[in-house]
Amino acid sequence: MEKAKISASQLFILMVLFELGSALLVPLAIRAKQDAWLAILIGMLGSFVLFLVYHKLYTYYPDLLPTEYMQKILGKVIGTLLAFIYILYFMYDASRVLRDFGEMLLTFAYPDTPLFIANALLMLIIIYTIRKGVEVIARSGELLFIFMYVLAVAGFTLIISSGLIDFKNLQPVLEEGLLPSVKIALSETLYFPFTEAIVFTMILPYLNDSKKAKVTMLCATGLSGINLVITMLINISVLGVNLTARSQFPLLSTVESIQVADFLERLDVFFMLAMVIGIFFKVTILFYAATIGTANLFKIKSPSMLAYPLGIVILFISVTIASNFQEHLHEGLYIAKFILHIPLFTIIPPILLFIAFLQKRKSHGGKHV
Amino acid sequence: MKRKGLFLLLMMTMTLLLTSCWSKKELTDLAIVSAMGIDEIKGGRFHLTLQIINPGNVAGGMQGGGGGQSPPVTIYSASGDNIVEASRRASGRISRRLYYAHTNLVVVGEKLARKEGVSTLLDALDRDPEFRNTSTLVIAKNSTAADLVKTLTPVDKIPANKVLKTLEFTERKWGENVKTSLQEVMKSIESPGRGAVVSGFRLVGNPQQAQKLDNLQESAPAATLRASGIAVLKQGKLVDWLYGKPARGTVWILNKIQGTNINIDWAGKKEAIAYQTVRQKTSVSAHVKNGKPHISVHTRVEGDIGDMEVPVDITNPKVITKIEQSVRKEIKKELRVAIKRAQKNKTDILGFGEVVHRTRPNQFKKLKTEWNDVYFPKLDVDVTVEAYVRRAGLRNKSFLSGVKDNQK
Repeated sequence: MEKAKISASQLFILMVLFELGSALLVPLAIRAKQDAWLAILIGMLGSFVLFLVYHKLYTYYPDLLPTEYMQKILGKVIGTLLAFIYILYFMYDASRVLRDFGEMLLTFAYPDTPLFIANALLMLIIIYTIRKGVEVIARSGELLFIFMYVLAVAGFTLIISSGLIDFKNLQPVLEEGLLPSVKIALSETLYFPFTEAIVFTMILPYLNDSKKAKVTMLCATGLSGINLVITMLINISVLGVNLTARSQFPLLSTVESIQVADFLERLDVFFMLAMVIGIFFKVTILFYAATIGTANLFKIKSPSMLAYPLGIVILFISVTIASNFQEHLHEGLYIAKFILHIPLFTIIPPILLFIAFLQKRKSHGGKHV
Repeated sequence: MKRKGLFLLLMMTMTLLLTSCWSKKELTDLAIVSAMGIDEIKGGRFHLTLQIINPGNVAGGMQGGGGGQSPPVTIYSASGDNIVEASRRASGRISRRLYYAHTNLVVVGEKLARKEGVSTLLDALDRDPEFRNTSTLVIAKNSTAADLVKTLTPVDKIPANKVLKTLEFTERKWGENVKTSLQEVMKSIESPGRGAVVSGFRLVGNPQQAQKLDNLQESAPAATLRASGIAVLKQGKLVDWLYGKPARGTVWILNKIQGTNINIDWAGKKEAIAYQTVRQKTSVSAHVKNGKPHISVHTRVEGDIGDMEVPVDITNPKVITKIEQSVRKEIKKELRVAIKRAQKNKTDILGFGEVVHRTRPNQFKKLKTEWNDVYFPKLDVDVTVEAYVRRAGLRNKSFLSGVKDNQK
């Protein structure tokens, strides 16, 4: 662990940027058709429960990284193994998001550029940021957060003023009843993007005011959830359900539809900027968590030394992870869910909490009962 | 020192990478395609006609006007088994790289639209990152798309712009045409039980003459382009053309009309008063009666009186009310004609099925598959019209009233 502190508002900003990250760009929960917004909302509410679990673990060990308290809870061998699995997951997820970035750039703007070059350019900047540590990440977050919201508000105003929004596209509400939305919320949106923020348990020990952790986490999830709901509502009401489902990047198609006063059009750059900012932070945070986790686990004094080797590993994984975009998406939606998301986000943390709770009760047993 | 040097070297390499020159496209290497015409030739092959802007001649054409000038656009064409192949093959004929980001018009030949349908063409255009699906789709009536694309036009130098602007203004000012983008067409074709509407465009005059610059030297060019009718597409295939009242009624129900002109009979004289609409709002709603869907169309119009050919005392509000009633009847008739025509074609171009789907999703599930052929043609439709006369221009009574008074 490096000696650095971030404030609650910085944590809030990082978390919002993280959760918006790549989720803003894809047709999130579109299998729920026009009720996608509802599925996102339910997923958000469901994630609150899990965040309370993560937070409770944090209150037990406010100064320790999860990689450390796992060893305390489960013992040296199993704890180390589990911590290692989490670190691998963070690296895998970082490379997935990096791949998303490259695929989007290549599909949309740079068809002739090799994927490796696109990914490598972003990775170079990320490695540089990681070397500077968590305070720099947080400060650049503050700066770009404002920028991202200015973009969002401007884009939103333009979409409204070009008269594209047709709320009829959102009807009929609950065509198939509530069940499909709940199903998709529990199987998709709960994990991506919401509880993916489990990575922030690695950042929480840096928080200067540990009392604010709970409120900050829940507020950040709430805000990003609402933003995602609004984005999906706009996408569907502008494009219609079918086109949204057909689009690889519905937000891009929505932004492309803007035509105001015959000259404010082709504002694809709005989309590109939001994408680069969101993905930059998502990869940075995942990568940072992997770096400090590794340093902590293997007792390496300065985590910044790990930035180059791990960065290069992530870069190579991102290129070799799948042979085409479709495979990459399938992997994320159907395979990673069962073998990674469900165990790592929803099963292991409650078990850890339960064991920790028993241990605490045992050690404090005499005083309380 | 060594560290600094290394850092400097890294910075310099980075700047080389960051110029993003990887796939640069110089402006002088681009052929900006303004319109694209698609026809069918024998054996299901496509014939692509590309209208490419001659940048120098668009700007300079205004002042010169001499005989020796070259036209503002150049046409290249190529054929292939699909659009992508044809477009790639065209590169053998053009000295530049084809650039589709500014293609705002796609013209489909009538023959192709009737036989093959537009559905098979759209995916390539939808998928391509350069091509915009906000481009307008038009069907070349009575001619090939190639002839339409080749025509040179006066006033608006770039023919594609002429077509787009014509459609935009006539949709608002007259209402017998619609401007539909590729995106809208795809949305309509894809939605269950819905037909699409696309505007028709026609070349009036000799196609050979239309391509010549001489054509523009006349004050009344012998060959011109004209918006003509609305094409009804059923499952992407052209099934009918609408003109006049059914066309306007259709655009009206689709809530796309802004201003148009409606004539009513008065005091025994036919079409005696012209009513100009200023704004209108049409809403369609569905309800179910005895298990059968029932559609209500409600429209609310506001407008002014534009012309009276008989003496009418419009200072009397009661007369205005009477005029309003006649206008209502006239509009109602027009909307009914449009609905009848759509039902006869067995194509739900008016989006009634979507309304049923939105408000009664469970019932629509049963009707979905046979909506166009069985349920839509037998649908009960209520039409209610609210029409208001707000103003009457600069005069109250017509001078004809004075003429009439003197004769007494």
